Amino acid sequence: MDIISNLAFGFGVALSFQNVLFALIGALIGTAIGVLPGIGPVATISLLLPITFGQPATTAIIMLAGIYYGAQYGGSTTAILLNLPGEISSVVTTLEGYKMARNGRAGAALATSALGSFFAGSVATIFVAGSGPLLTQVALSFGPADYFSLMLLGLIISAVLAQGSVVKAIAMVALGVALGLVGTDVQTGQQRFTFGIPELSDGISFVALAMGMFGIAEIILNLERPESRSVLKTKVGSLWLTKEEWKRATPSVLRGTALGSVLGILPGGGAALSSFGSYMLERKVSKGRHLFGSGAIEGVAGPEAANNAAAQTSFIPLLTLGIPSNAVMALMVGALIIQGIQPGPRMVEAQPDLFWGLIASMWIGNVMLLVINLPMIGMWVKLLQVPYKFLYPAILVFCAIGAYSVNNNVFDVYSTAMFAVIGYLFNKLRLEPAPLLIGFVLGPMMEEHLRRAMLLSRGDPMIFVQRPISATMLAIGAVALAAMLLPNLRKGKDAALAG
Amino acid sequence: MKLNAKDVTSGVILILFAAVALWLNQDHALGSARRMGPGYMPMLVFWVLMGLGIIVLGTAFFSGPDPLEKWTGIDSASLALGIVAGYGTFLAAPHISSFFETSYGSLGLGMLVGFLVICWSKRWRLIGYICASLCIFCLLLEKGGLMLALTATIFIACLAEPEHRQRPLGVVGVTIFLLALCWWVFIKQLDIRVAVWPQF
Repeated sequence: MDIISNLAFGFGVALSFQNVLFALIGALIGTAIGVLPGIGPVATISLLLPITFGQPATTAIIMLAGIYYGAQYGGSTTAILLNLPGEISSVVTTLEGYKMARNGRAGAALATSALGSFFAGSVATIFVAGSGPLLTQVALSFGPADYFSLMLLGLIISAVLAQGSVVKAIAMVALGVALGLVGTDVQTGQQRFTFGIPELSDGISFVALAMGMFGIAEIILNLERPESRSVLKTKVGSLWLTKEEWKRATPSVLRGTALGSVLGILPGGGAALSSFGSYMLERKVSKGRHLFGSGAIEGVAGPEAANNAAAQTSFIPLLTLGIPSNAVMALMVGALIIQGIQPGPRMVEAQPDLFWGLIASMWIGNVMLLVINLPMIGMWVKLLQVPYKFLYPAILVFCAIGAYSVNNNVFDVYSTAMFAVIGYLFNKLRLEPAPLLIGFVLGPMMEEHLRRAMLLSRGDPMIFVQRPISATMLAIGAVALAAMLLPNLRKGKDAALAG
Repeated sequence: MKLNAKDVTSGVILILFAAVALWLNQDHALGSARRMGPGYMPMLVFWVLMGLGIIVLGTAFFSGPDPLEKWTGIDSASLALGIVAGYGTFLAAPHISSFFETSYGSLGLGMLVGFLVICWSKRWRLIGYICASLCIFCLLLEKGGLMLALTATIFIACLAEPEHRQRPLGVVGVTIFLLALCWWVFIKQLDIRVAVWPQF
């Protein structure tokens, strides 16, 4: 069995002292920011990106991945105990989880969420390990035209699934691609849109863009809202589930895991979409559906399993195709590129330690998270008492030093400030920054593939519809766009994403 | 008919951005579809962006009224004044001191002044102080060292939150804690190449 020997190799990599240590750090940071409302994985990963430069690529990605799925664990704690979603992906957990806490079953809700997440995480790890190499084989047969169409499809779907207006999301994708054009043209060496600023010849700093639009702009927006951090009134109580609760939660966890694993792979999918999807599903099909609204355990088990499964399977398109499916994965692409690794189908062969080490570390990370979250729950509850007014100066100085240390250049910090202003403005205009980030990352790769495809076809754009793979991608993209024109579907999407 | 003001503004911004970018793109050779020059992809992207901007503008008629937040006179005045003061400082800075001639000092001073001026209005106070704190960090870092730069950054950042002004002792505590934390993480652990104490 190939997969077993590969996984064994992966565990060998992941179990090195350094990698275990950074998986733990990632899991701890992830849980912490998951617990704290007002700071999410995108902001955290972008502000920790510069710190990872000095580490080997595998260690860096293991830590960043730990932050993402760790946040899925931590987010549920706040949701259940305080009725406040720590993360977007745990918005639906507040619905049933907080009711359970009010009924005195807070401990059971927390245990369900942690155990469900752990189960989903373990299954998703195997899923990634099994499907990754298969997809890689497929991806190796892709020509430039196929790649271009695949990326276009990824951009379209991530825009379609973004919150709010689809047209505005697509415009944000295009704007991201446009910003990605700044810098030296790879083929001719000509400077494009650099205005004679030497720092721009390598392109707009990815770290500055991500930190400004997510990290700093979020600080400003959080400070605008008056802080409504309610004091913990509920008692955690026993963490043990009753037999009845086990029976009800198990099928929901299974359904949530399956749904999350699939939705995680979709471009634009990921943790948030999956937990909403799972909640909708549970409310329709689970045995306890009549109890929804009064603290149904199914409404905690399903979504929490789904968001953790999705957080892990969303690595599949990144690791096999080099295509980020959401903003967090776009940051991972940035981290890899800065490390000198071009994400894509060749990564499995060229960087086996990264590929298999990351997969193995996901399972290790999940074991750690189970320990971090269940017995140590009291510690995280204490963390909730740190008010935001003490938290934001810390985020700010980490951003400032981090942005500076990328190139030891203050220009990046000034860029961060400018992107913060732009991010703030976009938020006021209801323009989503996440699609912009994905477009920014994919833009330069798309230009490469477009140029190569057109060179091969001698300037004939029909190549995109003549190659079957490319044509299929474009067709799916067209259908996805057309579907959004149907008012019923659009309403369904809005309802699913609005929670 | 009620227009969606947010969509109108978004559409106009996108169209203007695309138009300026297309104009700038005239400097780059287009090449042919077969051998694309450096200007080909930008041309495609900017035209798509312009088209999307027009569609966003068009949807403003149907997406229902969604008004922008109302600005007071002070909001607009401080914004205009901030831009003018910032740009003026940017131009004047190199004449004030040679300190501002290197490492984007004049840009930094201009942005700092601009961001502080817009704090005159309540609406811009948060964004003004937060961004100004990033600018003071850059201005002080290379000559003043990390500790001084961080202290100034935290101090300005804390002005954004009114609760901090009533209890300045908390700010001192935060500052000491963060100085120690940043020293441990960035100097002791990561060893980034930056001066820690002021350079004379």
